[in-house]
Amino acid sequence: MAPGQNGDRRAAIVRTGLLFGLWTILAGTGVADLLVGTVVAALAARVSLNLLSPGPHRVDPATAARLSLRFLLQSVLAGLDVARRAFDPRLPLRPGFIVYPTAAPPGLFRSAFTAFTSLLPGTVPAGPAPARGADAGGIVYHCLDVDAPVAAQLAAEETALAGVIRDE
Amino acid sequence: MSVLLDLVTIVMVSAGMVFFLAGTVGLLRFPDTLTRLHALTKADNIGLGLVVIGLVPQAGSLRDGLKLLCVWLLVLLASATVSQLVAQAARREGDSS
Amino acid sequence: MNEFLTVMVGLVLALLALGLVRVLRGPGDADRMMAAQLIGTCGIAALLLIGVIGGTSAAIDVALVLALLATFAAAAFADCARRTAQPGGPGPEAP
Repeated sequence: MAPGQNGDRRAAIVRTGLLFGLWTILAGTGVADLLVGTVVAALAARVSLNLLSPGPHRVDPATAARLSLRFLLQSVLAGLDVARRAFDPRLPLRPGFIVYPTAAPPGLFRSAFTAFTSLLPGTVPAGPAPARGADAGGIVYHCLDVDAPVAAQLAAEETALAGVIRDE
Repeated sequence: MSVLLDLVTIVMVSAGMVFFLAGTVGLLRFPDTLTRLHALTKADNIGLGLVVIGLVPQAGSLRDGLKLLCVWLLVLLASATVSQLVAQAARREGDSS
Repeated sequence: MNEFLTVMVGLVLALLALGLVRVLRGPGDADRMMAAQLIGTCGIAALLLIGVIGGTSAAIDVALVLALLATFAAAAFADCARRTAQPGGPGPEAP
């Protein structure tokens, strides 16, 4: 336990600080607001440590920022893609399901991956593939255009995400 | 300066409305539940984002501006989760019928 | 500026109403769940616009709460739908 404890304390301090910052945005910076905010931030950090224990890897802020930017850019492209299809008089849709085979076990990485890909152009994750059969372990995706290179795009996103978020 | 900021607001909010319109048009035109889900989540997220960016220059204080951005981030995060839940429910309905 | 923003509020509310009619007609439960998402985006946009027009920053707080409630409503609805879909099933699967 000894090596983990330092990391735990570090994570607690960092998360309390971030949550306190969020609190000042939401509630203001009066004296009473700050007093309540200190207590709330400490409690919230405790809950967050219970729900999501700190991993052994430290997140590199530059990589995280790059990933957020990518996330934002992809969701803008997704909006443009839907708008283009919706306004097109011919309604160019070829909807259907594909199964994306992934080795990721259920956990933080897989959840982050499905959340990340739910905002990509043309794909929405629709739950796990059937537990038995050739597709076991995969993720079912609903696509607006099944002829698009969806699997290749998802694989690229998985690689990008793997550099930032890892299961322990 | 204020004219320039007003211009940013008008351009961004108008662009946001185009995406909201796209979302609703998609909702009306797309053929089934899951394709309508794509239209709703993807177009409206960006619509709201553009409206928020357009409103930030008009916000009364820095804190209000940051709060506007918080609203958008919350909606974006929530939508990433909720769209999966809805898609899963829609897939189950498709299986059983 | 306020005239422009007021027109935009009308527009976004009209789009919200149009979308709600479509979504509530169904046919499936999943269609109706989308109503929560629709309110979570169009409704919040309207609230934020109104807040800026009137200079009432409390409207932003209301929008924040609405975003939170819409999310929980949709999550609860999804959970109910799953339980009714598989009453004797293998129990809740890992999220």
